[in-house]
Amino acid sequence: MDKLVVVVVDDDESVRESLPDLLKEFGFAVLTFSSAEEFLASGSTARTSCLVLDIAMPGMNGLDLQKELKGRGDKIPIIFITGKRDESIRKRVLEQGAVDILFKPFSDTALRQALHKAMGSD
Amino acid sequence: MGFAHHLATGESRVLGKRLEMTALCADGREIPVEIAIARIQQDGPPSFTGYLRDITARKQNEDALLEAHTRLAQSEERWRSVFESSAIGVALADLEGRFIATNPVFQKMLGYTEQEFEQLHFLDITVEEDRDLNSALVADLLDGKRREFEIEKQYRRKNGSLVSVRNSVSVVSGSDRVPRFLLALSEDVTRRHLAEAALDKARSELAHVARVTALSALTASIAHEVNQPLSGIVTNASTCLRMLDADPPNVEGARETARRTIRDGNRASDVITRLRALFGKKSTPFELFDLNEAAQEVIALSVSELQRNRVTLQSNLATDLPSVLGDRIQVQQVILNLIRNGLDAMSTVEDRQRELLVMTERDEGGGARLSVTDSGVGIDPQIEEKLFEPFHTTKGDGMGIGLSVSRSIMESHQGRLWAARNEGPGATFSFVLPSSTNT
Repeated sequence: MDKLVVVVVDDDESVRESLPDLLKEFGFAVLTFSSAEEFLASGSTARTSCLVLDIAMPGMNGLDLQKELKGRGDKIPIIFITGKRDESIRKRVLEQGAVDILFKPFSDTALRQALHKAMGSD
Repeated sequence: MGFAHHLATGESRVLGKRLEMTALCADGREIPVEIAIARIQQDGPPSFTGYLRDITARKQNEDALLEAHTRLAQSEERWRSVFESSAIGVALADLEGRFIATNPVFQKMLGYTEQEFEQLHFLDITVEEDRDLNSALVADLLDGKRREFEIEKQYRRKNGSLVSVRNSVSVVSGSDRVPRFLLALSEDVTRRHLAEAALDKARSELAHVARVTALSALTASIAHEVNQPLSGIVTNASTCLRMLDADPPNVEGARETARRTIRDGNRASDVITRLRALFGKKSTPFELFDLNEAAQEVIALSVSELQRNRVTLQSNLATDLPSVLGDRIQVQQVILNLIRNGLDAMSTVEDRQRELLVMTERDEGGGARLSVTDSGVGIDPQIEEKLFEPFHTTKGDGMGIGLSVSRSIMESHQGRLWAARNEGPGATFSFVLPSSTNT
């Protein structure tokens, strides 16, 4: 059986470096992109099982991408990650249908639980 | 004339008395004279003796005396009306402190009549917590240690309510007839106090809000900056553990994630370094301000503390002081620290005046210099080097950060803070701030 594909979109290089290794340890296949635009252009949306998405990014930010995908009728589960603890953002993204939002630094357990919630299994 | 009448009736209006009348001189001048006629008791026809005395000089003296009296009365009246209609309270007390006289304003302020006051001692109407200080100041006055003093204190009115007053008290040197007495000019400052308290409260609330606002913005930015590398550390270390727990362990992968953990740790530390640099330089906007004004505000705030410590403060502020650029509140904090420091240094001084001199002057380099000179215990050579170190204190209740913080503040203003021994007793702490045109 093919591994489920988790996509990481974050402008921070160190996140694109460290997070995939952890996701691979969890047993997923991982694709990384440094911007929302890059992800949309890649044509990877169809095989994405879950999107791990940063909020603050230059250009199209995480919230814009969420709106764009929703507008397209794309139902990829989204887990937001952000360095800024802001409860109003949490409320907003959950209302828009996000699976969860994790505030950095987050534990591997929290990430695993969110992925579980997103895909129903791990 | 009268002689015949006298001889006939034995009555007399003149004999045996001194009469004053006006005499006409041969040259036509009129002069005041005194005349006295007496009968000489001897045999033969009735004889009288009389004398006439020129009393011009005596009359002149009397007139002068009368005029002096009138003038004195006028003067007395004038002073009495000053006393009676003065807008502030005036009270006279004997050297024991018993009231001798009070004016209507003073009576109205306290609710006692003039007669009731005469039964009272000034301490009877002074609130208990102000009595010791007040008595000590009066004692200084009577000992000649001071010529006058000012005190802010509270009186208790006849109806039990309190009134805050600012009193200027002096000894009036008496004369042959009037013994020395105490003179107090008493101003009701209750309303001013209330206004000041409200102002103080508003000011400190504002400062607090400004600080909290700045702090919360700063905290959010620090949190965001630090959370990024912390997140990397947590993720990498978690991955590392998982790689080591695998069967067989992925040692090479674990090594790589451990390296990344170290890198992210260093990144977090860099963030802190950058934040400190930022914080040290630009925590608050600098403004152009007048150091004299800033100092006067601090002095005004310290009045009651100075008074409590029985310290006389003299300020000598230069008129040609250049304006300086900086954080006014921080600089005022430094001035306040130096004044408090001076007070503390004099707290054990009993054998001499506790004097604090706050002086500003233009520095040789064109900057503005402020010095606080005390007559306290001076600087112990053994601790001189540690004076500005944090957590070094000679006070039982101090944190020991006052001078250290003050010096940091001065350094962030490109200024300097230093201490020097006085030629006499005590020490002088000075700082210099560059003038705004030099920076």
